Amino acid sequence: MRLSDIMSQMGLTVWPEAALVIFAGVFVLIVRRVLSRDRAAEMASAARLPLEDGTACEKETGR
Amino acid sequence: MTAIAARHTSTASAAPMERFVYDDSIVRKFLTATMVWGVVAFLAGLIIALELVAPRAAAWEVNGVRPFAWLAVIFETSWLNFGRLRPLHTNAAIFAFAGNGIFAAVYYSTQRLCKARMWSDTLGRLHFWGWQLIIVCAALTLPLGITSGKEYAELEWPIDLMIAVVWLGFFGVNFFQTLRHRRERHMYVALWFYIATIATVTVLHVGNSLAIPAGLFKSYSVYAGVQDAFMQWWYGHNAVAFFLTTPFLGLMYYFMPKAAERPVYSYRLSIIHFWSLVFIYIWAGPHHLHYTALPAWASSLGMLFSLMLWMPSWGGMINGLLTLRGAWNKVTTDPVLKFFVVGVTFYGMSTFEGPMLSIKSVNALSHYTDWTIAHVHGGALGWNGLLTFGMMYWLLPRIFQTKLYSTRLATTHFWLATVGILLYVIPIYVAGLTQGLMWRAFDQSGNLQYPDFVETVNALIPMYWVRVIGGTLYVGGSLLAAFNYFKTWQSRPAKYEEVVHEAPALSRTYVDPPPPPSRLSGVVGIGHKGDVWLQGAWHRVWERLPVKFTVWVVIAVLVASAFEIIPTFLIRSNVPSIASVKPYTPLELAGREIYIAEGCYTCHSQMIRPIWAETKRYGEYSKPGEFVYDHPFQWGSRRIGPDLAREGGKQSHDWHVRHMENPRQLVAQSIMPGYAHLLREKLDFEAIQRRVGVMAMLGVPYGEAVKPGRAAELARAQAAKIATELVTQGGYPDMADKKIIALVAYLQRLGTDLSKPDDWNPYEGFDGKKAADATASGATGGAGGN
Repeated sequence: MRLSDIMSQMGLTVWPEAALVIFAGVFVLIVRRVLSRDRAAEMASAARLPLEDGTACEKETGR
Repeated sequence: MTAIAARHTSTASAAPMERFVYDDSIVRKFLTATMVWGVVAFLAGLIIALELVAPRAAAWEVNGVRPFAWLAVIFETSWLNFGRLRPLHTNAAIFAFAGNGIFAAVYYSTQRLCKARMWSDTLGRLHFWGWQLIIVCAALTLPLGITSGKEYAELEWPIDLMIAVVWLGFFGVNFFQTLRHRRERHMYVALWFYIATIATVTVLHVGNSLAIPAGLFKSYSVYAGVQDAFMQWWYGHNAVAFFLTTPFLGLMYYFMPKAAERPVYSYRLSIIHFWSLVFIYIWAGPHHLHYTALPAWASSLGMLFSLMLWMPSWGGMINGLLTLRGAWNKVTTDPVLKFFVVGVTFYGMSTFEGPMLSIKSVNALSHYTDWTIAHVHGGALGWNGLLTFGMMYWLLPRIFQTKLYSTRLATTHFWLATVGILLYVIPIYVAGLTQGLMWRAFDQSGNLQYPDFVETVNALIPMYWVRVIGGTLYVGGSLLAAFNYFKTWQSRPAKYEEVVHEAPALSRTYVDPPPPPSRLSGVVGIGHKGDVWLQGAWHRVWERLPVKFTVWVVIAVLVASAFEIIPTFLIRSNVPSIASVKPYTPLELAGREIYIAEGCYTCHSQMIRPIWAETKRYGEYSKPGEFVYDHPFQWGSRRIGPDLAREGGKQSHDWHVRHMENPRQLVAQSIMPGYAHLLREKLDFEAIQRRVGVMAMLGVPYGEAVKPGRAAELARAQAAKIATELVTQGGYPDMADKKIIALVAYLQRLGTDLSKPDDWNPYEGFDGKKAADATASGATGGAGGN
């Protein structure tokens, strides 16, 4: 008996649907966490990181 | 070195301050390479756009003079023809232009976001020179026809190995070590996108490139047929996702706030954007294979996840555009913001169109047409191109420590690029719809309204000319950029200033804030733990732990892939065997390699969908079991020429030979390149043996043909038979040792197994008694190699 014969008997066709539910569920949890209000200050601070690298130079004017 | 100290106050703590200097020389290297390879990629694109109009232009005659006859050089020179240059164009655009642009962005932003110099200057340089070596190898091998024949993964195995080493060994190690040694505890969301890029591209590249070498420049994919197609588009679609989307989103989330001088509109939305792409994108690949021999459940799943991508992608686009809140007035004067705004808008258009094209009923019309080409170029030229150029103009004065040579030239570049893209995509959308509708048009008597395929190509020529104009504008804009770049570089200081920065090291004894208490009462311990977990404090912990973060991203990608790949590979009902399907003869195998080397798959599909208009035009629809010996699969993705899945036996040998010599001898309006060199070049019969051996190693039942010298013997015998038949048909003499005979053998075999009895013998008619031996040894053993 080949591996593919064994796998064919295992009813794997339900896997993708099950995975869809699992992935969607974890994703919803993350969204819920991200949108929670208690992180507002933390989010605002993180959002400013690109502006705090100390590299600002004179605004170029070009020719 | 002129040292200027800059103090970071945002991370001030009791930890000792450390001093460091960012390495901008590596950014200068990658940005210069971006500019150079960008011009090369766009020029290659312009040449192949010309290839499709050149045959008609070269034939145009005025008063006995053909003013454009010289254009024949691009479709009659073997290494310049469409099939060989198209992979060069796509590889140059994706891996050379976009790739170097990504690296420039990553090296510049990662150092600033981590408040740390890249971990190793040496690894950075190895990464740079290694990547350029890979590009040069690609530029040399692809025009020579050295290719694996898998779209966007054409490079042969030695180059694939180099990619793995340079990508993960040099780039990946340097990046992750920099993260480990950072001085900013929170990893900004751009870094998350870079992590996903590095981790996932590694998985995709290794997974799709698994092959057995059959020489220094030849290998065979370990996958065949349906499974190879699945792996290819799992790779192909996610290359778009994790090479052309996630790193550019990282770029957007870093450089747009910099250019607009204000933080991203919604950091929360950027996190949702990130996780939605990681969780959803990896599933979407099978939408490239609707109505093919891929199991329907897989392509339906691909469609469903593609539709789910709609919202997060648009959320990301809106987040990018709203970052300019209060700064829209700057867009009128700042070319950087102009590039960013239109680039992000193209992201929105592409990510609207992508899910739409994944809907099966839409895909039935759009697939194999220019609609896909227009979609791809809206994304590549608009999203990737404009974002890269916007970043480049923002970086130039900073990394060369001088003023941009000309803002006016940059603005002119913007307008040339934008108008160029529109002149490219609009006619090509029209071309796609036109051809798709012509393919499915029936007349009142129930026959195809346009039975000659060439009619449906002829209708597109005016649109192809407009594309050439659009492409010329885009190339022109990039040449202006190159000039602006060069002049800016020329005015750099004699010695670059190096700013010394200060920031405290991260404390090794840092303790995360305590998790929130359970909100439940009257439950057992596991209930409390579950409630605490549901409140999600673990995500905050991940956000500062690069290794754990990366591991979870990889797990998400691998698990999603496994849920699709394992059933596709291991459930036998997905690829039912067909007893009459036999392995290619050694000569047909050699012909198949010529087909792959010439890039025939870039214009011809081998996949007849179960759609009335297709079965009417081409014959019986393709079955999964027909492709079990196809290492690699050759289903194609675009029909500039007709489908060839049932080509075998439709034309005489002589027709094929003369058609390949000069297609216009037989089809006056054909735009196919000429392959006269195949009538001159000799076939290397001895090389066939090793290739048959590798195919046998992959499970193809070649039987006696694997014995030393036997494959070449069988190939010579079949070549002699076809050459004799060719002369009988009035064709050229002395062709038995030429490459064209192998190609004809392959073309005459295509799609014919289905109509033969189960016990038919592929060697019958040219190997006499020996054929019976081969048969007994398994060469005609039917489908079973999968």
